[in-house]
Amino acid sequence: MKTILAVDDSATMREMVAFVLESAGYRVIEAEDGAQGLDRATATSVDLVITDQNMPNMDGLTLVRSLRELRDYKSVPILLLTTESSDAMKAQGRAAGATGWLVKPFDPATLLEVVQKVLR
Amino acid sequence: MSEMRSGAGDAAQASDLLVTVAESLNERLALTAGELARSQVMLREASGELMTAFRGAADRLVAAQRSVPPGTTERRTEYGVVLDHLYRAVEHLQSHDLVNQLIDAQKQRVEKMREKLEEALMLASSPVADPQRPDQWIERSRAMLDCIVAGIRQMDEDARAPVHKDKQSAGSVDLF
Repeated sequence: MKTILAVDDSATMREMVAFVLESAGYRVIEAEDGAQGLDRATATSVDLVITDQNMPNMDGLTLVRSLRELRDYKSVPILLLTTESSDAMKAQGRAAGATGWLVKPFDPATLLEVVQKVLR
Repeated sequence: MSEMRSGAGDAAQASDLLVTVAESLNERLALTAGELARSQVMLREASGELMTAFRGAADRLVAAQRSVPPGTTERRTEYGVVLDHLYRAVEHLQSHDLVNQLIDAQKQRVEKMREKLEEALMLASSPVADPQRPDQWIERSRAMLDCIVAGIRQMDEDARAPVHKDKQSAGSVDLF
């Protein structure tokens, strides 16, 4: 079973992501900010990271950069799931090493499709 | 001399009135802040309850889907349809999250205005050096008004700032 790390400071959003992915057979672990996400990712082997951008302690882009510095996370897909939608932010995400950018509010079916695609 | 004393009396009265208005506004904003916080808690609780119910239902559906013997595709499809309905409900539930963000922005605005009002009230808390001089009362009132106006201006600017996000790109996906 693939493990997905969902990082978001909103418990509701984390629950929603977990709901959609768990019902599709994935194991989901949660973290409430980038710093906790980094801790979880280093403590557990994760197949995909889905992170929000604007969070306390550590934002999503910093989390992406920090993960990409770790040997185990050089090629693990990382998706940004955020309300930020500007091209400039997306370009920053790409430069940081993110695999994709999804704008909230998300369509559960689309999220599932993207997850399946990047995990293939 | 008596004219100056009467002028000082009027200016002191005006200053007192300003203090009363600032205190009254501050009290009302404190109530608003409390109501906003309470709304947020209630919304979060409602979201949490709904998510728990959705997740419980989805778990049961997935388990039921798995237990359907091979060949009975009709029932399996039916479970899938119900699951799709749950997905739709979850999609709408995201609006709770956006409302929470808006409430956060309102709370911040109210807090900033309250800070300015408290700053204005602080200015009025120390006695004027010479109460017989109208210009000193006027100066104090002016400083208080400056604070209040700065607070209002800040609220206006915050309200004009783009909260979020163009609706068109909602749900969009970019894979790099």
